Amino acid sequence: MLAHQAALESPFVEAEMVEAMEFFELSDHYGVSGVPHTVINDGAGNIIGAVPEERLIAEIKRVIKP
Amino acid sequence: MPQSLLNDEINRQITDVFKNLSHPVAILFFGKQADCEYCEDTRRLLEELCQLSDLLHLSIYDLESDAAVAQQYKVNKAPVTVLAALEGEQITDLGIRFAGIPAGSEFTSLINSLVMVSNRDSGLSQASRDFLKGLTQPVYLQVFVTPT
Repeated sequence: MLAHQAALESPFVEAEMVEAMEFFELSDHYGVSGVPHTVINDGAGNIIGAVPEERLIAEIKRVIKP
Repeated sequence: MPQSLLNDEINRQITDVFKNLSHPVAILFFGKQADCEYCEDTRRLLEELCQLSDLLHLSIYDLESDAAVAQQYKVNKAPVTVLAALEGEQITDLGIRFAGIPAGSEFTSLINSLVMVSNRDSGLSQASRDFLKGLTQPVYLQVFVTPT
């Protein structure tokens, strides 16, 4: 939901909720073992667990930092 | 006629929540014919939901026979559900997707995201909004979840 909220605010943000069991290969690829697990830009960032929006924003900032 | 996925009580609750919808939403479903355990149930779930509000507009696509549409929305697996803004005939992709059946706790997420898209309001803090609006490079978030 938080990811979807972020997507609504920017055309540069794409947010996909992925059902981990149905897409096991994908979740296995990113080493998902607990949920929710947020993967940012194909693994450049990871957030494990449900976090407040400030944490998500901080991790996005860290990932896109030049 | 197969049994409904949503019972009367759930339908009543959702109808109540959907009273808060303000703008049309395009729901794009992408399925495939073979090897898709949850495609049929996901499509039926979306069909039942869309019967509960005139503001929800469902389109059904197939990954193979509608490959161009799938490519346009960068969909490469199934089932995938895209929630997009709809104004007249104009669909605006907001980058909001569900991969897999939105059941269990994900069903709540689906309802919440539908309401959010319809009202075009993320509910995020001003600081978060300002940061996100200033983005100039792609951010791809994949949130792995389980239905329970």
